[in-house]
Amino acid sequence: MPSAPSARELRFLDPAVIARLGTMELKARTVVEGFLSGLHQSPYRGFSVEFAEYRQYLPGDDLSTLDWKVFARSDRHYVKQFQEETNLECHLLIDVSASMAYRGASPMSKLEYGSVLAGSLAFLMNRQRDAAGLMAFDERIGVRLPASARRGHLHSLLIALERLEPGRRSDVPRPLQQLAEALVRRSLVVLISDLLDDPEPIIKGLRHLKSRGNDVIVFQLLDPHELTFPFDGSSRFKDVESADEVTAEPATVRTAYLQALEALTARYDRELRGADIDYRLLDTSKPLDFALLGYLAARARRK
Amino acid sequence: MSFLYPAFLLGGLAIALPIVLHLLRRDVAPEVPFTAVRLLHKSPIERAHRRRLRELILLAARIAALLLLAAAFARPYVQGAAPPPVRVIAVDRSYSMGAPGVFDRALDLARSAITDAGPGEQVAVIAFDDRAEVVSAPGRGADARASLVGLRPGFGATRYPAVFQQAVDLAAGAPGRLVLVTDLQRAGWDVDSATALPSNWTLEIRDALGSGHAAQNVAVTAAGVDGDRIVAAIENGGPTPRTGRVRAIVDGKETAATDYTVGAGATAEVTIPWRAPASGALSIVVDDPDGLPGDNARFIALGSASRGTSLVITGSDGSAGSAGKPAAFYFSRAVATVDGGGVDVLPASRVASMSAEDLANRREVALLSTRGLERAARERLMAFVKAGGGLFMAAGPDLEVPIIVEMTGWQPPIVAHEQTGPLTLAATDLRHPVFQPFGALSANLGQARFDRAWRVTEDGWSVVARFSNGTPALLERTMERGRVVLFASDVDRRWNDLPLHPAFVPFVLETLRYVSGVRAMHDYVVAQAPAEAAHTPGVYRGTDGRPFAVNVDIRESALVTMTAADFERQIQRSSAGTVQAAVRQARQTEGHQSYWQYGLVLMIATLVAESVAGRA
Repeated sequence: MPSAPSARELRFLDPAVIARLGTMELKARTVVEGFLSGLHQSPYRGFSVEFAEYRQYLPGDDLSTLDWKVFARSDRHYVKQFQEETNLECHLLIDVSASMAYRGASPMSKLEYGSVLAGSLAFLMNRQRDAAGLMAFDERIGVRLPASARRGHLHSLLIALERLEPGRRSDVPRPLQQLAEALVRRSLVVLISDLLDDPEPIIKGLRHLKSRGNDVIVFQLLDPHELTFPFDGSSRFKDVESADEVTAEPATVRTAYLQALEALTARYDRELRGADIDYRLLDTSKPLDFALLGYLAARARRK
Repeated sequence: MSFLYPAFLLGGLAIALPIVLHLLRRDVAPEVPFTAVRLLHKSPIERAHRRRLRELILLAARIAALLLLAAAFARPYVQGAAPPPVRVIAVDRSYSMGAPGVFDRALDLARSAITDAGPGEQVAVIAFDDRAEVVSAPGRGADARASLVGLRPGFGATRYPAVFQQAVDLAAGAPGRLVLVTDLQRAGWDVDSATALPSNWTLEIRDALGSGHAAQNVAVTAAGVDGDRIVAAIENGGPTPRTGRVRAIVDGKETAATDYTVGAGATAEVTIPWRAPASGALSIVVDDPDGLPGDNARFIALGSASRGTSLVITGSDGSAGSAGKPAAFYFSRAVATVDGGGVDVLPASRVASMSAEDLANRREVALLSTRGLERAARERLMAFVKAGGGLFMAAGPDLEVPIIVEMTGWQPPIVAHEQTGPLTLAATDLRHPVFQPFGALSANLGQARFDRAWRVTEDGWSVVARFSNGTPALLERTMERGRVVLFASDVDRRWNDLPLHPAFVPFVLETLRYVSGVRAMHDYVVAQAPAEAAHTPGVYRGTDGRPFAVNVDIRESALVTMTAADFERQIQRSSAGTVQAAVRQARQTEGHQSYWQYGLVLMIATLVAESVAGRA
C-alpha cells in the first residue's frame, strides 16, 4: 500500500495552489507528479512483455524494472519500459449539475475540484497506459469521450474537463444505467459527484454496475460549508437546483442538518462498501492525494 | 348596504400600513444559495412556503381588522323597503285655543282630517303648544281618532317650529302630510324664526277659529306687590272697552278686589289697596267668560322676593378701607346699584349673630374678610352655599387662605400666595356670563393696574379671567348646589385701582349676578317651569323649599292671527329637509340594526385569530 505524501509535497496537492494553475493538463500533471514524488514505492508497473524503451529512473519506480546492465555501462539509472497492452478501461463519470458549482469556503468549486481530480486520474491512467474515458452529466449526459490510452486522447479529455460548465439538476442514476448497458468488458468506473440527491436510485445504479463485473469507485465531493453548515443569522436557504427554499435560523437547525448529512454519508458508506464499491468522501478544501490513493488502492486490488 | 358616516371608510386606507410592513419585512432574511436544502427539510424548521402562507394569513387578518374597524366607525346599515306615507294631525292645544267653542271645532277638524286619510296611509296625532307631544304614533285611523278624546287646551304658548320637527321625526324618512289644526296665532312664530319641511311633505292648514269668530279677551299680563298695595296690568285684546272686577286671592281666599275699566286694545294699570302677607300664594284674577281662560289669573309667590339684598362681609368693626373710606366702600356702592336690591355691609365678627333664615334669604354673600369670622359663621356660610347660595370672595389683606381652606374643606385645598405687579386683567372667555355683556368693551378692564394679587393654583377651579402674567384672576367652582367665585385681587382699591375705572361697577354687578344666578329665579312661564310645576300656572315650592310662581306666557294672549298663506311663507321647502329626514331615518335604521357592534366583535375575533396565527 502506498504511503501518503509528506507535507512538503502536499503543497502541490493543495487545492488553493492548484486552483491558481493554468491549464487542466498542468493541474493534472502537477497533482500527479506531486503525488508520485511523495510515494516511497511506485504503485504501478507495466504489464506488457514487449520491450518499448528506456526511461530515466525516477524516484518511486519499481527497482525490479531497473536495467542493471545499462547502469553498469553508463553509470546511469534507467528503467525498462515495455510496449504495454491496455489491460484496464476506466470511465470517469463527473457530475456537472448546478450543485457542483457550489463553492463555499473552498478555493475551488466542487466541479473544479472534481475536474482536477478526474484530470489527475486520467493523467495517472495514461501514464500507466490504461484507457480512460469521460462522461459528464447533469440530468442529461453532456460530454462523452470513449476510453482510450492514446496520449492525444488524454489531451482531448483534459480539454473537455477544462471546458465543463455547470448544468441544471443532477440525475446520477441515468449515466450509471447507460454506462452499464454500454460496457462490454469489465472496467473501472469512477463516479465524481456530490451525491446530494435521493441515495436510493444512486446506490441501486452503482450496484448494478458492480454486478456486471465492474470495479466502481465513488468520490463524493462536499464543500466545507456543506460539511459544517457554518452560517449565522436567519437566512433563506434557496436550493441552487430547484425552487425549494427554506427560511431558518442556522443555529437552531445546524445539529439536525449535520445529523441528516451524517446519516446520508453513512448510508453511502455502509451500502456501497457492502456491495464492494469503494466510497470516498472528499472535502474540497483538502488535498487531492486522498482521492488518488483511493484510486491506486482500487487499481491495485484489481491486479 | 349603506353607511351612516361613509367618510370613516377612508380609514380603510390604513390597510396600506400592514401591506407596506409586509412588503418591507418579507425579505428581511437574506437569500443564501445552498445545495443540501433537501437535508434542511429534515430539521424542525419552518418551510418558506408555509411561512409565506402564514404571513399572508396574518396580513389578511390585519387588513380585515382595519377594514372592519373602519366599517364599524362608518356605521353600516341595510336600508329596508320604503315606509308607507304618514299623515300627521297636529292639534294646537295652547291656551289661546281655550276660547269658547274653538277647541271643539279643532277636534272636529282633526277627526275629519283622519277620515280623509287615504288607504295605506298611516295616521299620527300630535298635540302641541310650546312643545310637541305625540299622542298617537303612526298607525290606524281608529287609534288616532281615539287619542283625540282626552285632548284639552293647556296653558302653554304656541310655538310652531317644534311641531314640524316632531312630525318629520315621526315619519322616519317616509313622505308625509302635515295637517295643522290651529288658530294661526302670529305669536306662534318668533320674529326671526322659520322652519323647514322636507320637499316630499305636504302641508295642510285647517283654521280652528273659523270665519265668524270674534276676538274677545281680557288678560292679567302683570302683577306685583308694591308695599301696601298690589299693582296689576289688565289688557283688553277685544274690539270693545271692557269693565270688570279684579280680585286678589291668597291661598284660595279672596282678600281684596277692585273694579277696572280698560279700553279696546289697551292695557290698564289697576291698583288694589291692600297689604299682602309676607308669604303665601297670591293670584290676581279677572272674570272673562268670553275670552281665554288661561290668562285670567296672574300668580305671585309671596316671600320669594325678599331675597333681594346682598351681604358684604368686611373686616372687624371700625376698620377703614382705602383712602380713609369705610371698609368695602367701593364694592358696596357698586352692589347697591343692583335694580331693586339692597346691600348690607357686616363685619365678619358679627356674621355669627345672624340667624340662619336671615342668611338664607340673601341674594348672595360677598366675603371680603375672614378676620373675626367665627366657626359658627363659617359653617353657616358653607350651608348657605351648599343649599344653592352664591359666594363671592375677593383677595385682600383681610382674606386668610388658611381660614378658607378650613372653612371650605375643598380637596385639593386652595393654594394661594401673594404676588406683586404691575399686572393687568384680561378675560379668558368672552362668552362667559360675566363678560358677555361687556362685549368688545371687556378690553376696558385691561386699563386697571394691579399692584398686588394672589397667585392661585388652578386645581379644582375654572379660570374665567387671567392677569397679564398668566396667573388666574377670576376663578369659579361649584359647591353642591351653590357657586363660588374668587377674584384674586382686592375690590376696595387697596391692591389695585380697578374701583376707579368705569368698568368696575358693571364688572361687580355681572359677577354678583352670575354668583347669585343659581337661586335668582322665582317666577317662571309655563314652558320653563321646573318639573314639579306640572306645566300648570300656580305657586309651587321648589326642592329647596323656596316658593316660586308659574304663569302663562302673555304673548299667547295676543289674538292676532295670520292667514294660511302668510303662515306657509314661514315654511322653507327645500330638499335639505328631505336630506335631514333621510339622515334621521338612516340614523334610526342604523340604531336598530347596530351592525357596527358585529363589526367590532368580528374585528376582535380577527385580532385574536391574528394573534394565534402569529404565535403558531
